[in-house]
Parts: sequence; C-alpha cells; structure tokens
Amino acid sequence: MIIFENISKVYPGNFPALENVNLKIHEGEFVSIVGHSGAGKSTLLKMLYAEEQPTSGDVYFSRKNISEFKARELPYHRRNIGTVFQDCKLLPKKTLTENVAFAMEVSEKKTSEIEEAVPQILDITGLGKKFDAYPNEVSGGEQQKAALARALVNRPKVLVADEPTGNLDPISTWDIVQLLLKINEFGTTVILATHDKPIVDKISKRVVVMDKGRVIRDEAHGRYCI
Amino acid sequence: MLCKVTRTFKAGAQNFFRNGWLSIATVGVIVIALFIVNVQIAIMFANNLLLNAVEDRVNISVYVNTDVQEDEVMKLRHEIEQYPEVENIEYISRKQALADFKERSKNNETILKSIEEVGSNPLGAVLNVKAHNPDQYETIASKIDQSSFSEKVSGVNYLKYRDIIDNLNKEIKANQKGAIILAVTLSFIAILITFNSIRTTIYSHRQEIEIMKLIGASNNYIRLPFIWEGVFYGITAAMISVPLTYLYLQFIGNEEVTNSILPLSNARFIKIFLTEYFMKNLVLVVLFQCTFGVFLGVFSSIITIRKHLKA
Ligand SMILES: Nc1ncnc2c1ncn2[C@@H]1O[C@H](COP(=O)(O)OP(=O)(O)OP(=O)(O)O)[C@@H](O)[C@H]1O
Ligand SMILES: [Mg+2]
Repeated sequence: MIIFENISKVYPGNFPALENVNLKIHEGEFVSIVGHSGAGKSTLLKMLYAEEQPTSGDVYFSRKNISEFKARELPYHRRNIGTVFQDCKLLPKKTLTENVAFAMEVSEKKTSEIEEAVPQILDITGLGKKFDAYPNEVSGGEQQKAALARALVNRPKVLVADEPTGNLDPISTWDIVQLLLKINEFGTTVILATHDKPIVDKISKRVVVMDKGRVIRDEAHGRYCI
Repeated sequence: MLCKVTRTFKAGAQNFFRNGWLSIATVGVIVIALFIVNVQIAIMFANNLLLNAVEDRVNISVYVNTDVQEDEVMKLRHEIEQYPEVENIEYISRKQALADFKERSKNNETILKSIEEVGSNPLGAVLNVKAHNPDQYETIASKIDQSSFSEKVSGVNYLKYRDIIDNLNKEIKANQKGAIILAVTLSFIAILITFNSIRTTIYSHRQEIEIMKLIGASNNYIRLPFIWEGVFYGITAAMISVPLTYLYLQFIGNEEVTNSILPLSNARFIKIFLTEYFMKNLVLVVLFQCTFGVFLGVFSSIITIRKHLKA
C-alpha cells in the first residue's frame, strides 16, 4: 500500500539525509522505524504526507505516485493520513479541543459528528481536564497527547507517528503504545518513528532500522538494536 | 459549502478577537485611512457648496435707460436671451425697481423725500442676466457692449465686480484642485499602510498556515478565515470612522476654530455638509464606509494570502 522506491533526499547545502531507500509497507501493518538522531526517520515520514519531496525516487500511496498529485488534490491525500508531528504542530491560538476539532472541520465532517467524536478521542488519549487549555499552557506530554488525538480523530487508514511519546513518562508511554496497538488491531496501518528501545522490544512487530540515511535492517519481529 | 462558510466565518471571528493588539492596530490603520478620505471628501463637498453659493449669487445687471419703452426692453431681453452663454434673465420693470429702491431706503427720510420731489420715476428697467457658468460673464458683458443696442443701456455692473468674481473663482478652483490631489495622495498612502499592516498580520500566521496545510486543509479553508477577518477589520473600522468623522467635522464646523485654518471652505459650508448631506444620508455613508473598509481589508488579505498558499 505504501512503497518507497529508491528514495534519496538531499537538503540544500547538506549531506544526503536519505540515500536509496526502498521500503514496502502493507495495509494493516505496524512498523517501527528506529535509528540515531539524524538517521533520516522524520525525513522519510515527511515524504508520505508530502511535506518534503524526494530529490530522486518515488513514493506511492495506494498505487498513486505522491509527487504527481496536483496542488488541489494534496489536501485530500493528507486527510487519509493521521499524522503526529515530531514537534506536535498544534495551532497556538486554538485550545486543545479546537485543535482536534479543526482536523475534522477541514475534512468537512458534520458538526454533530465533530461534537461527538472530539470529547471521545480526548478521553481515550487521556488528556483529562486540560482540553480547554491552549497548547502553551500544557506540558509537552499533554501536547503530544492532543496531537495524537488530532491525528486519530478522523479515523485515518494510516497513522504516521513521529516520536509521539518523546515527552511522556513510561506509564503514559505504554498507554499510548497500547492505544496504537489497538487501533492497529482495528485495521489502521501504523508507522511509528521512535528512539524508545523498551517500547520497540515490547511491541515486537516489524522494525526498520535506519542509519545515516539508509535502511540497514528490516525484520518482521524485530528488536531495537543498532 | 454552507458549512465551510460558517466554519471559516467562526474561525475568522475567533482570529479577530484572539489576535488582540494586532487586530486593534490593523483596525486603527483602516480607521485612519477611512477618516482621511472622509475629511477630504467633506472639504471637497464644502468647497463645492461654497462655489455653488457664490455662482448662484453672481449675475450681471443690465441697467436700461429710463427713456426706453417697456416693449423695447422686452425686445432687448429677447435678444440677450439668444446668447448661448445665458441661462436666464430676470426682468425688473421700472415700477418694480422704484418699489425695491423705496423698500431698501425706507429708513432714509432724505432719499424718500427727494424721490417724491422728482415726481417721475428716476430709475430705468433692469435685466438681471445669469450665465451658465461664471467664466462666461466677461463674454456676455462684452457682447452687450458691442451690440446694436448698447446706447440704450446706461450701464453693466459686471465690470465693477469682475475682479472680485474672478479672484474668488480662481481661488476656489485652486483650492479644489489641491483638495483632490491631497485626497488621492493620502488615500493612496492609507491603502499602502493598510495593505502592509494586514501583510504583517498574515505573515505572523505563516506557521499556522503551514500546519493547516499539513493537516489537509484545502486552500479555501485556509484563505476564508483571513478574508472574513478582513471583513471584520473593515466593518469595525467603519463603525469607528463614521462617528470620528462626525466629531471632527463638528469641530472644524465651529467658525472660530476653522476660519483661521481653512480660510475658504469655511465653517458654514462644512456645517451645511454635516447636517444636509452627512446626517441625512447616514445609512449611505455607513454603507460606503463599510464597503471601502471591507474592500481594503479583503483585498489586502487576498493578495497576501496568495503568496503563502503557493507551493
Ligand atoms: N529542513 C532541513 N533542512 C536541512 N537539513 C535538514 C532538514 N531537516 C532535516 N535535515 C537534516 O537531515 C538529516 C536527517 O534528519 P531527520 O529529521 O530526518 O532525522 P531523524 O532521524 O528524524 O532524527 P531525530 O531522531 O532527531 O528526529 C539530519 O542530518 C538533519 O540535519
Ligand atoms: Mg525526527
């Protein structure tokens, strides 16, 4: 369903961030992408939702070449993917609830649907009573939970999570990972980039190891080892 | 579609209120822009009223000799009426002229007595000639002077007033031209400042625009809140600029203040403009303000947002 074909990426004035990456991810898979800082994990994920374009190579999503999307088709493509950005990217002038609702609004969901789904997902991600606060009024971990809620609220076919637990305590982290495993069970493809060794080992699903812009290992029931 | 409009409207309103001082600053700039244009328009209007008032009062009086019979005066009148420059002629008969004169001098015993002593009517008929526009009095006067009937005319008063009329005319026209140039220049500056202010506002939102794009918002969904925000700026500014203009005109409509600053478009006409035009067409004024303000806000928003939505 997702195919990275000979992807290379060179940021202007830098050494290559990705070099000749080939990766196939099937529908319903749970893939952990691990590697040192700067290995190129985020860059690889950005190609999926077209924040970055590959310097060479092609990315296919449901058989469609992402680089061939027209500007007005791109929003629809992005709505198919729930994304937790490494830096959260919450809208600073909206409360956490509004941030989550916003993802549904732009997808042109019905208001009644929004009013039902938003509190539910905030509850599921464990945001507690903070939902009317603004992003800068809550902790990094709470921001991550809100970002995850926003990514999940549209029930996307694919969830891309770039270090969604980087700021969380071990217990919250485990809660979130269990949530990811559960939505994966219900059929959502999950792509998780993380540094967290114990988590990856516990998940015990497919692990892709990256180093210096290359995929150096890809195991169906892998462990975190670099 | 409707849901897109209402949602972006709500988002625009939210931005407007949550932007705080940035919104206030932008509204302030638009208020200034509108206010400048308003005052210029008001002064131009007052100048026009003044010009009309002066033009209305100017005419040429043709004094006919006392020995010319009434039917001949009518012929004369008919002839002058044929001049293309003439708009209308008011005929004052000898009798009427005498009556008018007596009325004017009713407090002056000596004059009244001397008229009675003369016995016959010492005054000739008068033709008050009005031209289509004030530039034409000179032509009319010289035409009468060179006409076949010039010896039947004892005098044309235009020559006496010519300099006064010409000067006033020139001065008002120069004033008018200056006001237009000033209005255009100031409006242009005001538009630039507004544009720049909105550009700054949107620029401060560029990260949010980026985020919205990544979440899958269509360009319209990103653009419309800013456009609505522009509408809010415009309407709020209009609601402030109308009373502000009113107060300012009230202030310069005060004779003592104004006649020292604006010698020509004097206070009286600004007051007339205020009561007869501004207040009587208040709905129209407000509508015009809103339209202009909204145009300023929306136009600047559209131009700026276009750049951010590319790529
Ligand atoms: N916008 C950018 N411009 C220039 N260079 C960049 C940019 N983004 C990333 N890079 C470079 O590309 C390389 C890969 O970065 P990337 O963010 O993909 O790493 P990562 O594996 O996600 O690291 P981390 O675990 O710290 O998030 C790094 O060397 C980084 O410096
Ligand atoms: Mg990263």
